[in-house]
Amino acid sequence: MDSASIYYLGVTLLLFLVFAAIVARTYSRKQKAKGEQPKYRMMDDDYPSDEKKGGRDVRRK
Amino acid sequence: MNQQEGYADDIVKGFVIWSMVWGLVAVLVGVFISFQIAFPQLNFPPYLTYGRLRPIHTNAGIFGWGIGSFMAFFIYITQRLTRTSLWSPGLAKVQLWLFNVVIALAAVTLAMGMNRSKEYAELEWPVASLVVVLWVIFAVNIVMTIVKRREEQMYISLWYILATLVGVAVLYLVNNAAIPVSLTKSYSAYAGANDANVQWWYGHNAVAMVLTTPPLAIFYYFLPKATGVPIYSHRMGVVAFWSLIFMYLWTGAHHLLWTPVPDWVQTLAMGFSVMLIAPSWAAVFNGYFSMNGQWHQMRENYLVKFLIFGITFYGMQTLQGPSQAVRTFSAFIHYTDWVPGHVHMGTLGWVSLVLFAAIYYTVPRLYHTEVYSVPLANVHFWLVLTGQLIFSITMWIAGVQQAAMLNATNPDGSLHYSFIETMVELYPYWHMRALGGVIYLAGLLVFLYNIYQTIAGGKAQAAAQRA
Repeated sequence: MDSASIYYLGVTLLLFLVFAAIVARTYSRKQKAKGEQPKYRMMDDDYPSDEKKGGRDVRRK
Repeated sequence: MNQQEGYADDIVKGFVIWSMVWGLVAVLVGVFISFQIAFPQLNFPPYLTYGRLRPIHTNAGIFGWGIGSFMAFFIYITQRLTRTSLWSPGLAKVQLWLFNVVIALAAVTLAMGMNRSKEYAELEWPVASLVVVLWVIFAVNIVMTIVKRREEQMYISLWYILATLVGVAVLYLVNNAAIPVSLTKSYSAYAGANDANVQWWYGHNAVAMVLTTPPLAIFYYFLPKATGVPIYSHRMGVVAFWSLIFMYLWTGAHHLLWTPVPDWVQTLAMGFSVMLIAPSWAAVFNGYFSMNGQWHQMRENYLVKFLIFGITFYGMQTLQGPSQAVRTFSAFIHYTDWVPGHVHMGTLGWVSLVLFAAIYYTVPRLYHTEVYSVPLANVHFWLVLTGQLIFSITMWIAGVQQAAMLNATNPDGSLHYSFIETMVELYPYWHMRALGGVIYLAGLLVFLYNIYQTIAGGKAQAAAQRA
């Protein structure tokens, strides 16, 4: 196996691990409620937020 | 800007209207070239020949109707899912003008025979350069709107929107790399099998990033809106999204099975194509499971009918596509009329049905009125469904017959039929396809009339309120 093949294999494994991590995080019990929250919030988006300023949601704090 | 709601919606109106204009052009040209195949005497050289008109049909359909609508709904959806007005409505106006200039230039240059001979990447470098400028303007506006969002989490549609913006940019830049030799002619930066590989990496991922991720973004947004019930599982949507993104970009070489492209590349593309069934059907199941307890809406709510039939065609498309990517099946049906049958199930059945629903949903809201006629919307649905099914089923049967004839051999191993004999046998199917196209066109005209009357009604109501 030459260095190029080892590199490709490494990238493939890395991508697989990243994907596995995404799946594990998405389906973790801790994330369950948070992960499903956007589907409820999008049902009522007819008006912009009342916040006068732009920037990310202050509720994060 | 729509002051009442605070979202920049006037620009959405512009994109919706112009996408419908280009959609009509695409279908008119499509129907005409279907007649040209059935009746070759309808070719009028040099401008009105099948060779010149076919890329105009595909470019008007995919980029004029498809991308135009996606631009409208990306702007509409992104503002609402971020609860933020568009970052720059002025930039969006420039985008709308440039979009129409690009599509018009594409039609003119293709009619004049300026063509890079790469499917879905036909535009010569000056027009292609304008496409890049257009996409950068679009992407910056959407990304900046998402950056300044007032929602902590991003709904699944936003992930698909971001993937589209990044994916198209990468694909378009790489495959359009060319060496210009004049204002109207350039040569690909790649050669031979490499050129083919890059082209179909682009070509099939145009299916991914133009005809899959944007309609999915729109479907995930408008199905819950139309039914009034949230999507079944947001988390399943997220996992399906990432698996689709990880897999799709490897599949392009399935267009090059049995060619000089290295065998391992073909096998890789074949494997990933089959694996794509999983994320594709996760989206289909998400749609179906969202309808639990709501199936009665298929009778009562015309929007749901468009959306559920749309996702069903997506499901069928994503079973048929991987099947075609398998070497043995590809050897049989590739280079036959099966392929346009497959493609049009995706474009007419999946993409367009979802877009029709999105337009029916948004236009009355944008103009603060009701849709002009629900019965007409139902007539539209059945006409386009019938036209599309006639088109696709006819082409599948034609493809199987053509493949069987092309593969038939005599006892000594020589071919039983000449190529021209296979062509002659296809005429009845080509007549049926043209008929399917006419029925689809009739449905489209009903749709356009319904939307025109809806807009006119909205404007009349607004004028009456002002008076």
